[in-house]
Amino acid sequence: MKFSKKLTAIAVAALAMLGTAACSNNGGSNSDSNAKIPTKISKKTTVVFWHAMTGAQEKTLKSLTSDFEKKNPNITIKLENQGKYPDLQAKINSTLQSPNNLPTITQAYPGWLLDAANAKRLVDMTPYINNSKIGWGSAKKSDIREELLKGAQIKGTQYGIPFNKSVEMLTYNKDLLDKYGVKVPTNMKELKSAAQTIYKKSNGKVVGAGFDSLSNYYVLGMKDRGVNFSKNINFTGSDSKAVINYYADGIKKGYFETAGSAGYLSGDFSNQKIAMFVGTSAGEGFVKMGVGNKFQYGVAPRPSKYNMQQGTDIYMFNKGTADQKAAAFMFIKYLLGKQQQLTWANKTGYIPVTNSVINSSEYKDSTKTKVPAQLNKAMAHLYSVPVVKNSNAAYTQLNSIMQGIFAKAKKGQNWNSAIDAGKTKFQSAWNQ
Amino acid sequence: MKQNQKKAWLFLAPALICVTVFSIWPIIRAFIMSFQGGPLINMQFNGFANYVYIFKDPDFWHAILNTAIYAFLAVPIGLIISIALAWWVFSKIKHQAFFKTMFFMPYVTSTIAIGIVFRYILNGKYGMLDFCLRAMHLPAPDWLDDPSMSIISLIIFGVWASLAFNIVILMGALRNIDPNYYVLADMYGASGREKFWRITMPQLVPTLAFLLTVNLIGAFKIYTQVYALFNGVAGQANSAMTAVFYIYNKFQVVGTPGVAMAATVVLFLFILFVTYLQRKLMKKVNS
Repeated sequence: MKFSKKLTAIAVAALAMLGTAACSNNGGSNSDSNAKIPTKISKKTTVVFWHAMTGAQEKTLKSLTSDFEKKNPNITIKLENQGKYPDLQAKINSTLQSPNNLPTITQAYPGWLLDAANAKRLVDMTPYINNSKIGWGSAKKSDIREELLKGAQIKGTQYGIPFNKSVEMLTYNKDLLDKYGVKVPTNMKELKSAAQTIYKKSNGKVVGAGFDSLSNYYVLGMKDRGVNFSKNINFTGSDSKAVINYYADGIKKGYFETAGSAGYLSGDFSNQKIAMFVGTSAGEGFVKMGVGNKFQYGVAPRPSKYNMQQGTDIYMFNKGTADQKAAAFMFIKYLLGKQQQLTWANKTGYIPVTNSVINSSEYKDSTKTKVPAQLNKAMAHLYSVPVVKNSNAAYTQLNSIMQGIFAKAKKGQNWNSAIDAGKTKFQSAWNQ
Repeated sequence: MKQNQKKAWLFLAPALICVTVFSIWPIIRAFIMSFQGGPLINMQFNGFANYVYIFKDPDFWHAILNTAIYAFLAVPIGLIISIALAWWVFSKIKHQAFFKTMFFMPYVTSTIAIGIVFRYILNGKYGMLDFCLRAMHLPAPDWLDDPSMSIISLIIFGVWASLAFNIVILMGALRNIDPNYYVLADMYGASGREKFWRITMPQLVPTLAFLLTVNLIGAFKIYTQVYALFNGVAGQANSAMTAVFYIYNKFQVVGTPGVAMAATVVLFLFILFVTYLQRKLMKKVNS
């Protein structure tokens, strides 16, 4: 009896303490001192960089980093791999609670950092960009492609600098297209008829086309119809249904396909089970490896007006000394240098982010990969998912909603009920 | 009545502090957070909004339903197969050590690695299982890409993965049964079936109760198997979404820790209730 009373007392006391702790733990964000930006690093300075690069990407990043360190002996860049993108996102989310453990800079999608920006945990890059010694002097002089730079803004503030970016491209099996007399499609109407022809002429053995990212498929499909990605999208409206039905019809009849649990269509593509697919430009290395000498492949701009700019930017956290921040920015600027961008693009398949490199003959005439020659055309109209509350969640949710709808189509069932269910899920994602 | 010595607290302190910090505090914190909204760095009290949200969220109900289906199918099926295999190895097989090692192997192999192998076996286009099924002119479902098959695939995977631990524990229990029972039964001419149902099973009840509890609680917390089998997502169209997957997703990916904690509290109460029911049932069986 006595013991249980004691236990209750302790529990109540603990709860009360926790209550006060929980209430008192908001605010406290350290304001940016915005002291003068150092233009020279004369003391030993360490910059921590969190990233999610693996394989050839990580290798290239490491070699670029060691080149930078050789040129700047006072600066050490500590590269810390945090796993895949979702792991990196989770790590940032949980570390935001104890800002001292955050890195100096990190790769991230702007949508991940909305809360961090609201809590003033990020550094506005504008003064650094405009600094003529550390930065470029102005955003224009930086030569970074405007849409990409804009894509790294959160609520109008330039918190990020674009780094490993990609767009979607159409990859096609040239031999198969020639065999069936099909031209490389330039719009969605042509894509459909090309896919139908291939499916028919191959007696159903080769699927015509597919899209890797169903979220991108929907968002860009709507954007091409003039509908921006927002909370106000009417998921069961006529535009939305038209976008969904275009793909679902094809799946039902067999000439379209989705990537399924494999995640990417490049596997089916190299096994000649599908003739064309829309996927990230950064995936060309995998296509090349899979295809080998089996057949000739080609790359063309995504057959739509708009294209999605994907991939992460580099963001700086509001912590550490002025020297560290300046050193970090010097590193970012170094990565965007012409030679480094060329190396990065050639070795990884990511696209260059500066205009001069995108348009340079060294890049365009690259014989190793096929994306460079088509890139400028593919980037004519870039779109990105707006950085507002829950847009990231809704964008991710779209993928599973589409999978649900297309699974019904594949079985030949009516998918209207799945669209209705999708509406609830879509709104639920926006409203959390 | 004996009084507790005050000094005992001193000796208990290290353990008590650890339990408080690492077990009790997280539970209390989760409970508090379930009434808060906003991002992790700036949580504000928002009443029952998180609970209202999850009860309206179709994904949450789907996750709870999937978890329940998984737990109530995979656990009994796994146990029945385990008993059969353990009994078979124990009573009918030579080279027991070899088979014991074989059956224990999955337990020491990483779930992620097993998941990758299962993904190859279950693949609808290139998979071995469908290849065999087609060769026998049987229907070959798309185990991974058809949302209606996801939970079945997950149960197959879960049952297979649970066998190792169950078999090893059951073999231990079988070895502990007094062999004199069987000698006596033989003397009176009992059949194999009678021996199994009248001697083996009753002797196994305490072990089975333990395995049932551990497996059920484990099944309710299933996450790694889903992650491994479906390549990091909860199956096509989130069809294999389980409660813990939902919680992780809401906490880490979507960035709504309050919603995640509300779901945690609901799952906690659910597991508590099921465990309570199960204990009642076991008591009845034992008496």
